[in-house]
Amino acid sequence: MADESKDIYFVQGIPVPDTPLPGKEPEAWQETNVVGKRLPRVDAYERVSGSAVYPSDVHLPNMLHGAILRCPHPHARVRNVDTSAASRMPGVRAVIRGTTPEADLVWKKDAAGEMRLFDPHCRFEGEEVAAVAAETPYQARDAINAIRVDYEVLPFVADERRALQAGSPPVHSKGNLSKSDTYERGDVTRGFAAAEVVLEESYRTECELHTPLEPHGCVASWEGRSLTVWESTQGVYAVQSRVAEVLKLPLARVRVIGHYMGGGFGSKLEAGKYTVIAALLARQSARPVKLLLTREETYLAVGNRPPCNMTLKAGVKRDGTLTALEFTCLATGGASPAGGTSLVDWLIRDLYTCPNVRTTLTDVFTNAGPARAFRAPGHPQGAWALEQMMDALAEAVGMDPVRLRLKNMAAFSQAREGNPAYTSTGFRKCLEQGAAAFGWEKARRETGAQAARGHMRRGVGMAGCLWVAGGGRPPSTVIVKLFSDGSVNLNMGASDLGTGTKTVMAMVVAEELGIKPEAIQIENADTGTTQYATPSGGSKTVPTEAPAVRNAAVQVKQKLMEMAAAALKTDVSELAYQGREIVSRRDASKRIAVKDLDALKRQGVVVGVGYRGPNPKNKVVNPFGAQFCEVEVNTKTGELKILRFVAAHDSGRVMNRLTYDNQVFGGITMGIGLAMTEARILDAGQTGKMVNRNWHDYKLPTALDVPADITSLPIGPADAEANNTGAKGLGEPVTIPTAAAVANAVCHATGLRITQTPINPLQLVQRLAERRKEG
Amino acid sequence: MFPDFDYVRPQSLQAAITHLADEAAVVHAGGTDLLGCLREHIFAVKKVVSISAVKELHGIDEAADGALRIGALTTIRTVAEHPLVRRRFSGLAQSASEVASPQLRNQGTIGGNICQKPRCWYYRGDFNCLRKGGGTCFAVDGENQFHCIFGGGGTCFIVHPSDIAPCLVALNATARVAGPSGVREVPLEKFFMRPEVDVQHETVLEPREIVTQILVPPPAAGTRSAYRKVRARRSWDFALAGVALALRFDGRRVVEGRVVLSGAAPVPWRSAEVEQTIRGKELDSDVIAAAAKAAVAEAEPLGKNGYKIPLFQGVIEEELARMSASA
Repeated sequence: MADESKDIYFVQGIPVPDTPLPGKEPEAWQETNVVGKRLPRVDAYERVSGSAVYPSDVHLPNMLHGAILRCPHPHARVRNVDTSAASRMPGVRAVIRGTTPEADLVWKKDAAGEMRLFDPHCRFEGEEVAAVAAETPYQARDAINAIRVDYEVLPFVADERRALQAGSPPVHSKGNLSKSDTYERGDVTRGFAAAEVVLEESYRTECELHTPLEPHGCVASWEGRSLTVWESTQGVYAVQSRVAEVLKLPLARVRVIGHYMGGGFGSKLEAGKYTVIAALLARQSARPVKLLLTREETYLAVGNRPPCNMTLKAGVKRDGTLTALEFTCLATGGASPAGGTSLVDWLIRDLYTCPNVRTTLTDVFTNAGPARAFRAPGHPQGAWALEQMMDALAEAVGMDPVRLRLKNMAAFSQAREGNPAYTSTGFRKCLEQGAAAFGWEKARRETGAQAARGHMRRGVGMAGCLWVAGGGRPPSTVIVKLFSDGSVNLNMGASDLGTGTKTVMAMVVAEELGIKPEAIQIENADTGTTQYATPSGGSKTVPTEAPAVRNAAVQVKQKLMEMAAAALKTDVSELAYQGREIVSRRDASKRIAVKDLDALKRQGVVVGVGYRGPNPKNKVVNPFGAQFCEVEVNTKTGELKILRFVAAHDSGRVMNRLTYDNQVFGGITMGIGLAMTEARILDAGQTGKMVNRNWHDYKLPTALDVPADITSLPIGPADAEANNTGAKGLGEPVTIPTAAAVANAVCHATGLRITQTPINPLQLVQRLAERRKEG
Repeated sequence: MFPDFDYVRPQSLQAAITHLADEAAVVHAGGTDLLGCLREHIFAVKKVVSISAVKELHGIDEAADGALRIGALTTIRTVAEHPLVRRRFSGLAQSASEVASPQLRNQGTIGGNICQKPRCWYYRGDFNCLRKGGGTCFAVDGENQFHCIFGGGGTCFIVHPSDIAPCLVALNATARVAGPSGVREVPLEKFFMRPEVDVQHETVLEPREIVTQILVPPPAAGTRSAYRKVRARRSWDFALAGVALALRFDGRRVVEGRVVLSGAAPVPWRSAEVEQTIRGKELDSDVIAAAAKAAVAEAEPLGKNGYKIPLFQGVIEEELARMSASA
């Protein structure tokens, strides 16, 4: 009998899933004992106590501080950069600019042409012009201020609605049309002819800025010809490949580390110029260099959710059947090609059954900062249009908005080649169970019958969604090591953006091996020591990494069972792994504790390698959702208060109920930002410069803007076809329908259809006053 | 990033005033506004004179005549929560509780609050505007959704950022000010500088003067005060439109009163129109509607702040109705 008190790592008395025979893949989980529970984060103490080392915290001996000089004009040509005074300033150890030979590099080549690291043609406010490294951050900033730049200031266009007008200054030599896409199925003309009601509306969503708590940046350090970068990133391998490409280094000589990072929301999926600049400054000074952007710099230069100008024409029969959807969107990725209109039309194409659909996307160049993926790129904008239109159609044909949506459920993906089926679609359940949990019909009736109750009006609204991705995919390689004392090391390349990835993966290992999650030490996001992983984003981290983690843990079990089979002189097929012990199914006296395996003691460690297998053929893995909210509008002042939210999401298996709910609350909070408070404001008519580049003027929602009453309602079951954990993505769908649901609730409360974000007192009081005037 | 500056923390008011004689010296109270200005390099600063160690600037008490004396370094949170303020000057307590966010209310002071620099994003940003000594007001033709509808005077279109100042004006408060030539008292109503008089200063303070105390006279019997603020988000935001009221009632009738708007003008904006409309009247729905209409009759909105007209009407209607209901 083993001394159980010394089994500090194994869980007692909890069954673990069956172990497949060597070479076989694990079956889908049935009941789980760890996965799906409410487990606090495995790194919660480190995060809360401040002992977690983020890139911002990295401080190396002899480290210098870098700073970047950025173009203050939306459009200018750099004639000359005079760094002579800056170079002579105290503490300054490196100064680089476009004409510095080592810094004269191509940053990227794309549809718009070639862009240099310090491009003499600055196409947006905030483009990089020069950089310095100095002993202190203050000396670096003083040196930046001492650099004299002779700019030829050029005419600009900052408003995408004017980009294609005759006489607008060209952002790139090819003109201001970045690209134009059309999608068509069926025949919309016939579809509209078949409709009994046709509605048409214009919509606009304002530009949102990514605001991760930790700004973008890194520490770069050279050892000989090898570069190490501590970067706040969603994907260490993505940064590695870009840095290696630009600096013409072998991948093996670029190590990128990103254990902890303070959020990204899509804006840290790729390397920034700042990473290469830090590396160049470090090389020139022969010292490590830390280069973190200021909040203002991140607002100008490293990403946004593009402003979208949309029209949607929709036809419906009296019974609620959609007959045609015709959608246009004009948007901008700033001075960068593409990104402006990406995926904005996806929901129009694929959320509801509709035989006749046409979408036209026009992506234009402007003299503004580049778009980057922003939590569910394109989708909240498309939902803003489509889900408001669905409500308007419901009203026009006299149907309940939920029923109209249920009438047009899609059984398969219409917009993909070959119309593949979904591995699972819980959209109907999201609508039905979400409505039930919200008390939809009663709330709608009661808030609708309140006309005589003074100037405070309540209303309810809802919206649905799917997310185009969220199924995960290969590649991913994960290593799980079990040491001779039974403790475990999980080694994976993926970043934890703060979503709880590490915790979820520890739970997967714990589930399979029957050990306590806290006994698992995790190494992640390090190109030097962990395996290749794609960036964490697209709501694909769990469905990509968790199956690979599971496969690695299963392989550990398989190897231990082979050792046990040898020790017990029996066949492996006879054995069951039970966590602490491996036991014969036939003869319970034949058993051996994992730690007693001589082979394990001799070897010291058992290594399991897991790979992410392929997705099911000819099927699509998408998450679905529906959100419901109740609002109160002060019709004298236009103040809007959100009273409650119910979020019903089908993302397959719930991996950790605590982090699941975190995602729901965070997604709704961010959606409320789009709906009510956030908008980048450019001084488009005068200087083209951004006027709200700080946290007071760029208004993120505060705790008081978000209701305390949010219900997170996971819709099952696990998606057994999607992957061997049954999980689909969650982080993005939870923010897609939020803004549209708020707009629909405002319309229900006031009768006003607000088609432009943000719905704040500025806009709402004006619309209410106009309506009073019209009588 | 901060400029290079010297920092002193004198123990006495006199020493602080002496320090302020140095080139580009500024007063540091709570610092919630000054630090932002330093970081943005809005004006030249070579010396920061902290007055936090000056004991006589702290505390709230009641004078023999019933007047409220608030030391300039009293935090906004203390003003909001002080029993004396809450009992007798409820509008002042309300206005203090509506300022910014809990952290800022814990740190910011009432003296600093009334001496704030404007929040105009052209002034705060990388624009050489009129108020910073440049030649242009960028707000006139630019992004002026948060700018004034009264009192721009064709020069500078900021709004005064304070929530507390309109209340103090409504309550007929006075600022006690110390300087090299002694102490003087300035009624809050005359404390703020209109841009057509001097576009580069927000107050009438002389360069070396420091606000030491706020004096609020005892309210006459039957006086009720209140403050209501509308903002673009529910916390940590300045007023889009606000109204401070101090009305003396005789039964249901308004004997007299002061009505001061925030978010309306470069200074706390006393609305003579509303005051005249309600004086001597009971606040029935007709009077309230007439007062709200009168409030904005003379407004001069810019391109993007026309919403402030219905907004002020709405706020004034709502707040007068609330007062009437409690009369």
